[in-house]
Amino acid sequence: MEENSSTRTAQVRFSGTAGEYFGIWIVNFLLSIVTFGIYSAWAKVRNRKYFLGNTTIDGRPFEYHARGLQILFGRAIVVGALVILSVSSSISPILNGVLFVLLAAALPWLINRGLRFNAAMTSWSNVRFRFEGSYWRAFAVFLLYPFLAIFSLYLAFPFVARASSRYTIGRHSLGGHRFAFESGIGPFYRAFLWAAAWVIAVLAVSAWLALTAGLVDGVGRAIRLGYDADGVIGVTIMVVYVAGAAAFLPLTTIYRAFVRNAVYAGIALEGGHRFESTISPPRLIWIAISNAAVIVVSFGMLLPWARVRVARYLCENTWVKPAGSLDEFIGEAESRQSAIGDAFMDIEGVDVGAAV
Amino acid sequence: MSARQSEAPNGRPAGDAFPAGSSRRLTAHLVGIADGNAVALVDSNNGTVLVSAPRSAILREPRLGGLPSTVVFPFGWRFQSHDHGGIDALLGPAGTDRLHRWEAYRPRLILVVGLALVAAFAVWRWGLGALVVVAVAVTPDALPSAIDDGQIAVVDRTLADPSALSAAEKERVRRVFDRLKTVAPAPRFGEYALLFRSMPKVGPNAFAMPGGTVVVTDQLVRAFPDLDAIAGVLGHEVAHVTEAHGLKQVYRSLGTYLLVSMIAGDVGPVLDDLLLEGGLLLSLSYSREHEREADRIGMTLAAKAGYDPAALALFFEKLSGGGKSEGPSWLSTHPASRDRIEEIRRLADEIARSAR
Repeated sequence: MEENSSTRTAQVRFSGTAGEYFGIWIVNFLLSIVTFGIYSAWAKVRNRKYFLGNTTIDGRPFEYHARGLQILFGRAIVVGALVILSVSSSISPILNGVLFVLLAAALPWLINRGLRFNAAMTSWSNVRFRFEGSYWRAFAVFLLYPFLAIFSLYLAFPFVARASSRYTIGRHSLGGHRFAFESGIGPFYRAFLWAAAWVIAVLAVSAWLALTAGLVDGVGRAIRLGYDADGVIGVTIMVVYVAGAAAFLPLTTIYRAFVRNAVYAGIALEGGHRFESTISPPRLIWIAISNAAVIVVSFGMLLPWARVRVARYLCENTWVKPAGSLDEFIGEAESRQSAIGDAFMDIEGVDVGAAV
Repeated sequence: MSARQSEAPNGRPAGDAFPAGSSRRLTAHLVGIADGNAVALVDSNNGTVLVSAPRSAILREPRLGGLPSTVVFPFGWRFQSHDHGGIDALLGPAGTDRLHRWEAYRPRLILVVGLALVAAFAVWRWGLGALVVVAVAVTPDALPSAIDDGQIAVVDRTLADPSALSAAEKERVRRVFDRLKTVAPAPRFGEYALLFRSMPKVGPNAFAMPGGTVVVTDQLVRAFPDLDAIAGVLGHEVAHVTEAHGLKQVYRSLGTYLLVSMIAGDVGPVLDDLLLEGGLLLSLSYSREHEREADRIGMTLAAKAGYDPAALALFFEKLSGGGKSEGPSWLSTHPASRDRIEEIRRLADEIARSAR
C-alpha cells in the first residue's frame, strides 16, 4: 500500500467547502453570542477541527484534539487577569505599572505555553506535534529584538522576523523528528521592501488627494478661526483614519505573501523531508484584500467562503517532498497541557506568524 | 484518500486505521463481535485483528461537516471512515449529532442566520447593558472608594493645586452641596464628599467619581457668584454618582472588549477591528446619554433643594461662549452645548409646570 505512494512529492490538500463551513460557523456564532462568549471556547475547537481535519497530506489528515472546557478554563483565567489589570489602572497608576511589567515579563512564557498547547493538540496521521520553548530565547525573539529594531528605524526588522521564524519553527517537532529553519536574509528584505513601498505609496497618494481636495487649507482656516465652520475637521479625521487603515492593515498580509515561499523552502524536517510553497504573492494579496472587502460588504456573512478560499489556495500551493517513508514518525508520551497561553494569544490577538 | 473510496458491502465500515502513537496507516474495517457487544478493528489486507474492545470502551468523536467519522479505541488506535451509517449501526450515533444536523447546509440554516442576527443585535443593544447592571450590583463597596482615592491622587499630581478659596466661599458652596445631599438618594457606593481644587488648565468645571467624591474647581466658584448655577452643576455631578455612571462606563467598555475578543475567532480580523471601533463610538454615545440623564436628574434635584433648575443653562452658555470649536458630535463624550442649553430650558419649563 504505502511503499511507493509515500516517497512521492505530496500536495497538501484541502477538502472543506464554503457551504459546509458556513453552517458550522453560523451555529458557532449564534451559540457564542447567546452565551455571552462562553461557547466561543467550543466554537474554537469545532473551527479548528474542521480546518485541520480537512487538510490532508498523502491522504492523512491533521486533527485537533483540544476540548472546549480546557479552552474555556484558560480563557477564564486570562479574562480575570485582564479585568484586574483594567480595574487596577483606575485605582492606582503605580499598581497598574507594576502589573504591566509583570505581564511583560510573563509574555515569553505565555507565548511558549500557547505554542506548546497548540502543537500538543495538533496531530498529523495520529502523531502529535510538540513545541519545546525556551524563556530567554522567546524573550529575545519576541521582546528584545523587536525593541532594538526600533533604534534602527525598523530597518533591521527582517533580521527580527527571521529570528522569530527560526525560533518558532525550529523548536517544533513531529514524532521525535525536529523541524529546522535556515534561510538567507535576502527574501526577508525583499518582502520588507514591498511592504514598505506599499505604505509609502498609499500615504503619498492620500496626502496628494488631501492637498488637491483643499482639506489641508480647510483645517488651517478652521484653526485660525477657532471654529470648524464647514465640518472640515470631521472629514479630515475620517480621511486620515481611512488612509492609515489602507496603509497599515494590509502590511502583514503583504509581508507574509512575499516571504512565504522562502520560509517553506527553508524548512526541513529531520530525516531529509523538505517543503515547498508555490504561491504567487500578488495573487495571495489579491485574495486577502478582496476577501476583506467581501466580508465587510456582506456584513460578515461571506466570511466562511473567504476563509475556505484562503485555506484552499494555501494548501494547493504547499508541497511536501518526503525523503523516505512517512510511516516512521513515532509519537511521544503526552503530557498534561493548560490552555492559558493559548487563551492569552486568542484574546490579545497575539500572532507569532510562522504558519507551519 | 482510501478512507473515501471504501464502502463496506456487508455492514463492515471500511477506512483507515492508525496505530497508537505512530504515523503508520493501514487499510482496515470494523466488525461487530461477541453478539454486537464488542467491536474489532481488522486489517483488511490480511484479516488480522488489530485491536478489539467492548462497545462502552470505544469513543466516537463528534461528527463535523463532511469529515470522516473518527473512532478511538482504548490505548490510542484511531479509525476513520466515511461509512457513518455503518459505524452508527455498530456503535450508536455520536453524542453531538443534533449540533451536526443543525450545521448542515440546507434551507433551515436561514433560520439560524436570522436568529444569529437577532441575538447579535439584542446582546449589543440590551445584553451588555444587563451585564453592566449585574456587574455594578456585585461590585464590592471598597472598590469605588479605592478608585476615588486613586483618581484624586492622580489629579493632585498632574492637574490640580490646593484650593485658594476663602473659608466663607467654600462654606457657601458646601451649603448648596449639603442641601442637594438631603434631597438626593444615598449613593450606591461610598459617601458624598465635596473637594475644592484650583485647576487653571481645566477652567470652571466640576466632576464626580464613582465613590461619591465631587470635585469643584476654584474657577467654577469664582465664575458663578450665583448659587443657582452652582446648584445646577453640583446636581448634575450628584446625579452621576446616584446613577453610577462612572462604573457603568468602565464595565461597558471592558465588556465590549472582552466579548469582541471572544468572538474575534468567529468574525475574522477585519470585522473584529470594525466591531471594536464601533464599540468605541457606541460607548461615546452612551457617555452622551449619561450626560443628558445627569442633566435631567440633576435639575430635578436642584429644584427639590430650592434652586432654579434653569440656571444650569448659564453654565453651558459660559462654556460655549469661548467660541471653541467642538468637532463632530459623534466623536465627543458630551453632547454639544447648544443642544444641551435648549434641552435644559425645555426641562426647566416641565419641572416648573409639574411643581405648580
